[in-house]
Amino acid sequence: MSNLFNWNPDRSKYPLMKEDGSLDVDLSSQKFTKLWVGPNHPGVTGNMAVEITVSGDEIVHAKTHVGYLHRGFEKLIERRLFIQGFPTCIRMCVAEPDYNEYLLSKSIEDLSGIEIPEMAEWLRTLVLEMARLQSLLRTVPGQGGTFSLGLGVQWGMYLRDLILDRFEELTGGRIYHMYILPGGVRGLLPDGFKERLEENLQLIDEFIIKIKKLMFDNAVFKKRAIGVGVIKKEWVDQFGIVGPNARSVGISRDIRKDYSYLKYQELDFEPPTATDGDIFARSTVRYRELIQTVDLIRQIMAKMPEKGDIKSPTPNVLHWKIPKGETYTRSESSRGEYGMYYVTDGSDKPRRINLRGPSYNHAMTLLEHMLVNANISDVHAIMVSLQTCPPEIER
Amino acid sequence: MGKLKDILSPFTAWGGVIKDPVTIKNPIGRPAAPRYRGFHKNEVDVCIGCGSCEAICENEAIDLVPVEGIKAKDGDSGLRPMVDYGRCCWCALCVDVCTTGSLTLSDEYTWVSENADEFRYIPGLDKKDWDKNENGWKKPEPNYEFYSLDRVKMPELHAQERGQSFIEFITGYSKQQAELEADRCVECGICTSACPAHMGIPEYIKAIRNNDLEEGLRILYETNPLPEICGRICTHKCESVCTMGHKGDPISIRWLKRYIADQNPSEKYKEILNAENLVDNGKKIAIIGAGPAGLSTAYYLKLMGYQCTIFEKLPEAGGMMRYGIPEYRLPYDQIDKDVNYILSLGVEIKYNVNIGTDITLEDLGKDFDAVFAGTGLHLGRSTRVPGSDNKNVYFATDLLREISLGQEVPLTEKIVVIGGGNVAMDITRSLARLQNIKYGKVDILATCLESEDIMPADREEVVEAREELAIVDPGWGPKEIETENEKIKGLHVVKCLSVFDENKAFNPKFDEENKKFFVADMIVESIGQGMDLSYLSDEFKENLRFSNRGRIEVDDYFQSGIDWLFVGGDIIQGSDVIHGIANGHKAAIGIDNFLMKK
Amino acid sequence: MKNLIERLHIKYSLTDIVNQRDNFVYLTIRKENAIDLVTYLKDYEGFSHFVLLSCVDWIEDGKFQLSYFLNQPNKKFDIAIRTMIDRENAEMQSSHHLWKHIETYQRELREMYGINFPKNPRIEENFILEGWDEIPPMRREFDTKRYSEKTFFPREGRKTYDPATYMKDKLYPNAPITAKVNKKDE
Repeated sequence: MSNLFNWNPDRSKYPLMKEDGSLDVDLSSQKFTKLWVGPNHPGVTGNMAVEITVSGDEIVHAKTHVGYLHRGFEKLIERRLFIQGFPTCIRMCVAEPDYNEYLLSKSIEDLSGIEIPEMAEWLRTLVLEMARLQSLLRTVPGQGGTFSLGLGVQWGMYLRDLILDRFEELTGGRIYHMYILPGGVRGLLPDGFKERLEENLQLIDEFIIKIKKLMFDNAVFKKRAIGVGVIKKEWVDQFGIVGPNARSVGISRDIRKDYSYLKYQELDFEPPTATDGDIFARSTVRYRELIQTVDLIRQIMAKMPEKGDIKSPTPNVLHWKIPKGETYTRSESSRGEYGMYYVTDGSDKPRRINLRGPSYNHAMTLLEHMLVNANISDVHAIMVSLQTCPPEIER
Repeated sequence: MGKLKDILSPFTAWGGVIKDPVTIKNPIGRPAAPRYRGFHKNEVDVCIGCGSCEAICENEAIDLVPVEGIKAKDGDSGLRPMVDYGRCCWCALCVDVCTTGSLTLSDEYTWVSENADEFRYIPGLDKKDWDKNENGWKKPEPNYEFYSLDRVKMPELHAQERGQSFIEFITGYSKQQAELEADRCVECGICTSACPAHMGIPEYIKAIRNNDLEEGLRILYETNPLPEICGRICTHKCESVCTMGHKGDPISIRWLKRYIADQNPSEKYKEILNAENLVDNGKKIAIIGAGPAGLSTAYYLKLMGYQCTIFEKLPEAGGMMRYGIPEYRLPYDQIDKDVNYILSLGVEIKYNVNIGTDITLEDLGKDFDAVFAGTGLHLGRSTRVPGSDNKNVYFATDLLREISLGQEVPLTEKIVVIGGGNVAMDITRSLARLQNIKYGKVDILATCLESEDIMPADREEVVEAREELAIVDPGWGPKEIETENEKIKGLHVVKCLSVFDENKAFNPKFDEENKKFFVADMIVESIGQGMDLSYLSDEFKENLRFSNRGRIEVDDYFQSGIDWLFVGGDIIQGSDVIHGIANGHKAAIGIDNFLMKK
Repeated sequence: MKNLIERLHIKYSLTDIVNQRDNFVYLTIRKENAIDLVTYLKDYEGFSHFVLLSCVDWIEDGKFQLSYFLNQPNKKFDIAIRTMIDRENAEMQSSHHLWKHIETYQRELREMYGINFPKNPRIEENFILEGWDEIPPMRREFDTKRYSEKTFFPREGRKTYDPATYMKDKLYPNAPITAKVNKKDE
């Protein structure tokens, strides 16, 4: 009953199988070559490597190697006070560090029964959407970058930098914001922040039009992206595909809608979907999410109060103890379901934290599966289209 | 494929060639945002070296190091944080946790040096270009704290209720309140050095947090055998240096100590403190006076194996704690709890024995291996202003003792107390209660030289006295007590401008023009106490050294000029229970050393 | 969903049920029945999304806790199945045949906790660590600090002082801070 689908990739073109079903690749036969893609940032994804076996320019086997970014953060946080977790956990995903902070803080609040003030909820929502925006500003044109369309990447990077300026203003840091902490957030909006952010958003509005013309109405891009790297609908549950990758095959799952958190129930949005499941579909979904995120940020700024408490009182952070318990909290990052399993044992340090990053499944099992039979020139494109982020795989 | 639009549309990007580039030509020197988390700054004069920054740093980037020009003193450890930028991650938790608010981050983020060791420095002391930068990360305001700044309110009886009787009005913390209060402590340990007995304050507060009150009691008895007493009436020098006091209320260290002592039943003390099977080394020590110093000496000597006999002039133990401090602050049964535990170890007290008349000091010297004298300050001092020899002028110490002994004390409807210390407040509030009981109203006024801000009494004493309807009118110097036919009419005072001169010597200055007259038919003087050394014979005194202020000179271990005589407590260090206890402990060590050498 | 939990309770004799949230339940079950339950939920109850397989080290009890997080996307309901396995020679029935990505989770647990999942393909392959010869690093007894001190070079000359100890040394070196007790030899 469980094994309804074919586990192995389609190897009809290269039926080189041993009797036990494993792959029969003899490198000395001179029919095959092994190649490494990575580990030096193969795309805009971060340090990981894909070991591919090619025959001609077609891939017969792929294996993902991670470990270049392993710093053992989960273990480090196990050995630190609850308050010390949030500056440590952010590096588990560099592209969107705020989701780490949010999940860690939310878990601690869940387990110790702290409710945060409304103002802090709004600020968290704003920061998480800004994080999504800056991440998408990288990934959407980054897909073009994998087809040597570098111009969009440069536009995106400039706009992303402007958002980082806003982050710097609000949180005191550009990449690692360390803004969301257990109990609340670390500051109100500075004077004039909304106006400056609105100016940036207007530039992004222009960019949205320009990037459509540059990328999505581009014959070359379409030729390279349509029909390549297809995810089948039934894979979604089999491989644990989440977020835009799942939405690109018509499965509309979005944590913000399904398990609404923070202030998302007060915002008006519908997660965009596509049906084709190829690189173009995923790119389009992300593109439409970019447009939606800009809109969400505008909604948040219009709805959020001007003033309010930013933090609830907590026990003295130097000897904060949380009773034994465990919780799983999740949020929708730009790559999909981003969750954290948090276990406490009654001491002043967590017993276990485990980050569930979407890339864990996307970049390992799914990518290995998708690359078989793909053309060698599409490796980067497929990788980037899954929006993998290696640091969250190995933590 | 094949749509012409798809081929042409990307070329719209060429529109960009006529636009100005958005890149910044020279990014070096670009100012950071006002909240930027850059290199550290520290106001070293405000910093007290409590080490909270070190405790919260998740990267172990901060060391506390001794620095030149800053010495350890009460309320300042003399250490300052040194940051290692090889480890710092600029999270600014150190700033947010800083108990004094001295530590901030600047907005400087570029710094180049060829020497890696330079990236380890003491902010504020090693001068840096960004020390004067206004911008940078500061702790967010308001309502953003990593601990509670507000003390858990101690439940107490309402002034109207407590003013009617001598029952204890501070009711003590509940478990929940005590744990909340204990949670505020940052465990810096700066309090420990300010405490004369150097009690393990952070440790016993931690024991409360861990709900291990037996451990708490053990920690208390390491340095203080009178925790019930100190938990109520200690002058809590620890609280005045408490690091939490810089931004909020200091921790209620005293009430927490009381909580530990209150929660442990007296019958379990011996078991908890593991005081069975003490050695008896056969040596005998005589102790004069069953006050804090004497009791403390006896307790610590007993633990070491000495036989201790305390000679007490009054019918019950406690000294000034029983006969000087009113019952509403320190109930007698709590004194008994502490004293009885010491007695249960085998310490003996002989009551109603007057050294000098019943038995001489020389005899004690012969009969015992060593003698400790902690005879205290029981004599009142007079202002010696005209009229102070009137029979309706009393000393506070005498009245307090008589109240404790259960004797009838003189009482009238209009009383003036001269003095601004804790004893003055004690007698004021005691007499106010008696007035309430006898006349149904309070009419008592306390006045003193010191102005409100430098009154020696504890602040809460003054506040509580006022709540109990006594008038406190500080800043007046007594001039004359007006009498008529041996009856007191009142007290003439003049404004006191300053109490101490430039050399911090007692030298009050008055504004003779600014006068006041307090109507009264009874006056109580409470301007300090004197010692009664009449038990020392003249011959004996010749062999002792005295300081020019008339105090017996002793060495570090309270040994006097006569080697078998140790002296401590109020007569050496001024009136304070916790000093007495500390003296007693040290004297016990001194006696042990002295007798072991012999 | 309450109905479902009751049915599961009867069918699988769960040892513990904790309602974390309205739409999130923890079920504790004996090791032998855990994969049965996971399979049942997947095949018959629509828990089609496998969220996470994680391990918690309860070293003091000598147990590893395995947590299987399952999600029912249509009803938006989560069940976490917890089971305890012995720490010694830790081994658990593999569930790689249910979801493709469980294979990676099991490889990670093998590497980080030393839990074996027989029949899991590629179980012997390195996941993150290469050339690791210490005990599995996520086990509680693995001391990261000691490892880093052993492996890397701490900066020379760093020394820190405890405020209370420093003040004692400077201000009252001779004051007694503990009571001296002489006891009879027992």
